[in-house]
Amino acid sequence: MRNFLPLLMKEEKAVFSSPIAYAIIAVYLLLMGYTFTLMLFLNRTAELVRIFFQAAVLFLLIVPVITMRLLAEERRSGTLELLLTSPVREFEIVLAKFAASVTMIALMLLLTASHAVVLGIYAEPDWGPIYSGFLGLFLLAGALSAVGLLVSGLTANQIVAAVIAMGIGILMWMIDSIGYLLPDPFDTIVTSLSFVAHFTPFATGALFLSDLGFFLTVMLACLLLSVRTLARR
Amino acid sequence: MGLLGPNGSGKTTILRILAGYLRPSAGTARIAGLDVVDDSLAARRCVGYVPEDVPLYGGMAVREFLVFMGRLKGLTAPGLSGAVSEAMHRLRLEQMHDVQIGRLSRGYRQRVAIAQALLGNPALLILDEPTNGLDPRQIIEMRELIRSLGGERTILVTSHILGEIERVADRVAILLDGRLLGVHALRGSGMAQRLRVRIRGDDQHVRTCLARVPGVTAVEAEGEPAISATTYVVDADRSVGEALATAVVGNGFGLLAMEPAPVDLEALFLRLTAQRTEAAR
Repeated sequence: MRNFLPLLMKEEKAVFSSPIAYAIIAVYLLLMGYTFTLMLFLNRTAELVRIFFQAAVLFLLIVPVITMRLLAEERRSGTLELLLTSPVREFEIVLAKFAASVTMIALMLLLTASHAVVLGIYAEPDWGPIYSGFLGLFLLAGALSAVGLLVSGLTANQIVAAVIAMGIGILMWMIDSIGYLLPDPFDTIVTSLSFVAHFTPFATGALFLSDLGFFLTVMLACLLLSVRTLARR
Repeated sequence: MGLLGPNGSGKTTILRILAGYLRPSAGTARIAGLDVVDDSLAARRCVGYVPEDVPLYGGMAVREFLVFMGRLKGLTAPGLSGAVSEAMHRLRLEQMHDVQIGRLSRGYRQRVAIAQALLGNPALLILDEPTNGLDPRQIIEMRELIRSLGGERTILVTSHILGEIERVADRVAILLDGRLLGVHALRGSGMAQRLRVRIRGDDQHVRTCLARVPGVTAVEAEGEPAISATTYVVDADRSVGEALATAVVGNGFGLLAMEPAPVDLEALFLRLTAQRTEAAR
């Protein structure tokens, strides 16, 4: 793992030296701030459930844009050849890219935490659902990052990577809807694959190990497949 | 060592396999005794690789990039800075240390790519078409650089231009359609040798005398044989200069001149590729 740190530093620099990152963060904060203000004045309740769901939907659209360049850009510019002919293990490359993407999402969540701080100052919110909501958002974004990274490793075109990752993310978000049309046990299987089904408990303050395990499994599976994609060359 | 072949003959594929970027679909490849698939990581530590398109991180400054690559190659704090400085000095990049790679000319980018390949002091340096896209002055500088690096380590250079290989390589491997047609020495290297010898004597007797020298594989007269003196081109599979002189003088012929004869790479290439085409029919 000695190569992880230099690779992560390179990725962080690439992420934060790009105007894309700042544009994404600005738009995200603007939309979140707008909704938070609206909710606060309309509902006058000290909770963030709707904010969490809006953030989740925004992540479905934003995370693929963050992850689209991770491997696709390296492949397009040929620097992947430089990396893979250096004495570096494939999983170090994948982990560094995943960590860089998750770092940016963590920063966005940290900035979103300002909403919770405002609630804490002017009201007495129930902190349990707020903590679990942020954890759920982090896990969902991590899973979307892993999916995005995998897709980015399969193409040299960033737009294609973003669109496909977005499609997979949105499909996984609402796949439980089709469960109503399917017979048993397929309805259960489809529902158990749904992002929204596993995210909702987090957003409403219910923590289940199965939901935690689901998101971690998606991350692990996609990261392993990404490593496999690089090793297959 | 030069790898010569027309476009699409498999040069880059071979280099990519040796550098660990591609896995061979069949067969094995070893570098310093290390299998490039089974001991991939260790084998990659023995190789410095410069791909044909010179892919670099355009957003990084030259020194920053070299430090990054040095770290990936296992160099750590005490030695890393020195190794980077040495590589920059060697490639004359000191003045460019804080310039973004994306703003460099093709020639400087090529130098940066070679500098990163030299980090970690690899036993094998692989350069894929290193003079592609360079202007005439840069091409001359690149040839000099390759020759200067060659004394310390094995360098594998590819080109589809005969003249480039002729100028920088001691040995050449010729490829066509993914097949190796032959490996030939271009300069005296203790292996195969080609000599041009001017001898006075009867042509038939001289030829017989030369052919009998152990190691000699072919004797050809340059031009028409003359009574005064004839020039012969002698091919041998080892160093035969001393034995040849002894045989000529010992048999009473006049040895007027003897010098190494450069291999006519163009003729060799045409001959080997023609043979291959014939065989394919």
